[in-house]
Amino acid sequence: MEADGAGSDVEREDESVIELLRDRFRLLTISIAEAQAKRNDLEISLPIAACIADLAFKYTEQLAKDLELFAQHASRKSINMEDVILSAHRNEHLATSLRSFCTDLKSKEAQSERKRKKPSRKEDKATTSVVHIPDN
Amino acid sequence: MEDANTFDPDLVHAIFKLVWNRRALERERNEGADGLDIQVGAGASKKNRPTYANANALKLSCELLRIFVTEAVQRAATIAEAEGVSKIEATHLERILPQLLLDF
Repeated sequence: MEADGAGSDVEREDESVIELLRDRFRLLTISIAEAQAKRNDLEISLPIAACIADLAFKYTEQLAKDLELFAQHASRKSINMEDVILSAHRNEHLATSLRSFCTDLKSKEAQSERKRKKPSRKEDKATTSVVHIPDN
Repeated sequence: MEDANTFDPDLVHAIFKLVWNRRALERERNEGADGLDIQVGAGASKKNRPTYANANALKLSCELLRIFVTEAVQRAATIAEAEGVSKIEATHLERILPQLLLDF
């Protein structure tokens, strides 16, 4: 039983860390939920928003477990984007929307890498960039 | 444009690491109970090294969580609107919950 003494201290620390994370998560979720409700010209009752927050937190824990299992299954030690997209397999729309977000991220990365590697060709790339600097 | 409302990748990463460390500890404990002499170095064995997350995977996970919350609110909002109420309450959430959990 004495070996458990040190173990339970670590567990108590873990508990307070979890509580802190859960609180921060709750605040973020509530702000996202309220913004979404406002888009429909509705209000969301606070206990319900907190309920959604706790549900999302449980979902995050489950997601962590799933992602770890997928990576292990592929004999990897690190999670990549394919694992996240795979975890959305239950709903086609969800998977599609994640895949397009993924493509956006990759193309943004490719763009910033191109800018870093070829600084002299900035003028040539002007036509493809979204931000226009008007030539008055 | 208010697209800044999303989860913080560091927060999501912290939650992931917590879950992974917990699972790694459990695995160590289980293996320790089975064979005391077989494991040479508990933390160094391949199975027990913790998992890592790629930065893009974290951003994608944040997006997934954001969609989860948004879907939940949006579906409940649809029901609230159909009833003609101006506030989303527990009954609205209850009705969309089964399909939400099946979809995610």
